Amino acid sequence: MEAALTASFATLTSVLSEEQVVRDPAACAGVAVDGLAPQCLVLPRSEQEVAAVLRFASEQKLGVIPCRNATKLGFGNTPRRYDIALSLKELNRVWRYEPDDLTVSVEPGMKLGDFQRFLARRGLWIPLDPPGGARASLGGTVAANAQGPLRLKYGAPRDMVLGMRIATTEGKIVKTGGRVVKNVAGYDLGKLLIGSYGTLGVIVEINFKLFPLPAHRTTWRLAAPNLTQTREFRRALLSSPLGPLRTVTMDSEAAALVSGHEHDQAQSYEIRVEFGGTETVIRRSGEMLQSMARALELSETTLDGASAEAAWDRVADFESALSSVFSRAVLVKASLPISAGEQFLELAGLEAAKEGTRTACLNHSGVGIVYVGLLTQEVRPSLGGVTNSLRKAARRLGGALVVLRSPAELKRDIDVWGPPGDDFDLMRRLKEAWDPQGVLSPGRFVGGL
Amino acid sequence: MQEARTARALPLDDLKRIVGERNVLWRAEDVMLYEYDGLSAHATPAAVVFPSTTAEVSKVVALAVRTGLPVVARGAGTGLSGGAVLTEDGLVLGFSRMNKILEIDLENQRARVQPGVVNLDLSLAVSDAGYYYAPDPSSQKACTLGGNVAENAGGPHTLASGVTTNHVLGLEAVLADGSVVHTGSACWDHPGYDLTGLLTGSEGTLAIVTEITVRLCRKPEAVKTLLAIYDAVPDATRTVASITARGITPAALEMMDGFTLRAVEEATHAGYPMDSAAVLLIELEGLSEVVDEEAGHIECACLENHAREVRRARSAEERDLLWRGRKNAFGALGRVTPNYYVQDGVIPRTRLPEIMEFMEDVGRRYRLRLGNIFHAGDGNLHPLLLYDKRDPDQCRRVTQASAEIIARCVELGGSITGEHGVGIEKNELMPLLFSEDDLALMRRVKAIFNPEGRLNPGKLLPTGKMCGELRVQASAGG
Ligand SMILES: Cc1cc2nc3c(=O)[nH]c(=O)nc-3n(C[C@H](O)[C@H](O)[C@H](O)COP(=O)(O)OP(=O)(O)OC[C@H]3O[C@@H](n4cnc5c(N)ncnc54)[C@H](O)[C@@H]3O)c2cc1C
Repeated sequence: MEAALTASFATLTSVLSEEQVVRDPAACAGVAVDGLAPQCLVLPRSEQEVAAVLRFASEQKLGVIPCRNATKLGFGNTPRRYDIALSLKELNRVWRYEPDDLTVSVEPGMKLGDFQRFLARRGLWIPLDPPGGARASLGGTVAANAQGPLRLKYGAPRDMVLGMRIATTEGKIVKTGGRVVKNVAGYDLGKLLIGSYGTLGVIVEINFKLFPLPAHRTTWRLAAPNLTQTREFRRALLSSPLGPLRTVTMDSEAAALVSGHEHDQAQSYEIRVEFGGTETVIRRSGEMLQSMARALELSETTLDGASAEAAWDRVADFESALSSVFSRAVLVKASLPISAGEQFLELAGLEAAKEGTRTACLNHSGVGIVYVGLLTQEVRPSLGGVTNSLRKAARRLGGALVVLRSPAELKRDIDVWGPPGDDFDLMRRLKEAWDPQGVLSPGRFVGGL
Repeated sequence: MQEARTARALPLDDLKRIVGERNVLWRAEDVMLYEYDGLSAHATPAAVVFPSTTAEVSKVVALAVRTGLPVVARGAGTGLSGGAVLTEDGLVLGFSRMNKILEIDLENQRARVQPGVVNLDLSLAVSDAGYYYAPDPSSQKACTLGGNVAENAGGPHTLASGVTTNHVLGLEAVLADGSVVHTGSACWDHPGYDLTGLLTGSEGTLAIVTEITVRLCRKPEAVKTLLAIYDAVPDATRTVASITARGITPAALEMMDGFTLRAVEEATHAGYPMDSAAVLLIELEGLSEVVDEEAGHIECACLENHAREVRRARSAEERDLLWRGRKNAFGALGRVTPNYYVQDGVIPRTRLPEIMEFMEDVGRRYRLRLGNIFHAGDGNLHPLLLYDKRDPDQCRRVTQASAEIIARCVELGGSITGEHGVGIEKNELMPLLFSEDDLALMRRVKAIFNPEGRLNPGKLLPTGKMCGELRVQASAGG
């Protein structure tokens, strides 16, 4: 088996050059998934090379996982098979940049932070604050439809992608959508790829819609004694005419992880709200926010400039903050009706307490996305039960829950995605149509796709 | 002849059993109306059925499978690409009875509706509470949310707030075999492939939508409407780019040329200046001081680009009047011509000046009158080509002129359709945008949902029966 594979990898070097096929065990271990390291790491430099690698993998029936910075690599079921790590690191060019049209085509390996710096020179940005923050690649962010609290104002990647080019497992390059902001020609196949976690095809170019950078930004921090107060504040904020860019609510553990120091225990919850726009927007928003805070007797302070930006980066990268302190932590993400966020936070605390564990909760309270970290330093099998109870609760509230992070040992007992719905048969057939040999991230997605 | 065919193939009794005697139309004089949509007339349906529940839709589709009849869903029939008409003998599934708003949940900013709900009715239902449904096609008084989802409809205010697909969270749909599926959910994230996103804009060729969960938006504190008046078209189009360059995204940014606005003014008396070459209708939304501030910047941008005058609507009535003019523009042009054909090309918005010049040239070369009224802010053109369809030579010229305009849009990096859909109008033009590999993948996806072509056959994808032709058969104006 090993010998046969070695021989077939030799044919791979007929498509890519020697140095693009890395077989060094240390490098392969660096992109291991759930303890499983691939046989090789390949570094294509063009979309054609990506397509060639996929065709090769299909012919040989090998398992391929596309990656870049491995910020979201731990997410998903344990792969059924993993032979090739397909790194998109070398695909990091900007192709068509039309700042006046607010559009751009860019390759998937570009890091979000680099991309923002590039766009900022012309006063533009792509309003994304996904897990991984500045380190996240654009391809990974789109493939995961990953977005942070900025979703409140700007939507998710699915709302910003105008079109894309995709390498298929047949070894072809196909395009969907286009480069203009309005377009309904043909099926919107891009939507299938966005959020597919690299199980249908490999995104090799993305056309984004861009946005003007707000001229000024201010972040407010509010301290709330309990969830009733955070709920009242959320209702006041969302039914006001203010259009905040983003808002989050954190319990004291989450606030401590995100700020990197012990949290003031007196204030149980911290709320953050960011406004952006002209000076007038900032002033009016500030006034209204202060009067909301006064009415609810919440204390408030502001964060400006670089310190605010860094603070939001740490919110986006909650998972790193969590795992750097609690290496064996379990992290789940619930998507809920906006009104159910506070209730879920409370419930999570209770369920975790039953197993003697504390939680760190981060509620993207404007959009109903709640992250719950179960804080532990060792592998605790009982946490599988906690995630199951939380999933039941999320489903009862009309939502869904996925397990973003868990020690590999627990994954056998944890259902990462939850039970699929009555549209699963369509998903299964779509997967078969795009990837008949099952080479792309095999077994990692919903229902074991 | 109609009678004979009906008697042979149509399972009339079964249909009546499913939806009730009164909810099936089959007599020639009754079904004739359903040969049309906003584009043109096509095959006469064997029957038109009006289900009232998802279960009835499912049974009708299952019956269609057994009898081998194609099924086309129909909302209000305002579609402009021939989506709601049959290309062959078959059934039309009318959604006028499935027009209930099932649930409004303001705290969670969403509503669950049946597909036959008229777009504007949803906004009206939540208006007093301070909310609205954002995508607002100009046809919003008539068109249905089911039709909007199928076409991924846009509208003047989708410039800032996004088109239909950005506002749909979940769907219930009946598949081509009659089974019922649920995609997405009522929340923002749903694990699995985004089938909601795939079905939105699929023009009824993948599934029949029976329930829709949409997002509702909070109404802005203030709205300001400006009318910038120009003596030359290029000044108006250049203003569009200057506004974008100032980092302002208006809620709406519409353009109307002089010819069109004169027709509109005669029909609506909205107060448009009869002697101008073009106007921009610009709307700003947000906090009141901010809107004032932005209005100032916009005014500067307009005047810098030689606007003759910039008016501000002083009251809600004035604002409504300006918009009524805009939204009734197609109808107004219908009064001055026997027929017109509406195009729907898209270009990158900075290319507006050159595409307008190009269209003027096309009009001259083909000796056709063109009116322009369109979503300038996002580069979505709607040239209306005026003609008389009784004259074959005019028909030919309209087709050729439109084809040239569309081809030019594609050359400039744009698209063949921004919001009206492909339908039977542009399916043979799809190769202008997509390679054989791209189309093959679309066909493969279609085969999963609609393997026998039972749902809305002959639409969206090239049939190969015509070679790269545009299908123009515009209906009578008005
Ligand atoms: C004066 C005028 C102005 C317009 N302005 C705009 C505009 O600003 N923006 C814009 O986007 N469009 C505009 N349109 C086009 C048209 O109104 C839209 O495409 C609208 O979405 C069609 O809705 P409808 O209910 O009339 O659908 P129909 O015309 O009845 O059907 C359209 C398509 O939807 C399918 N369909 C309908 N219901 C369902 C269902 N339940 N499940 C599956 N498929 C279904 C049909 O099969 C068909 O393919 C305009 C049209 C007119 C006449």
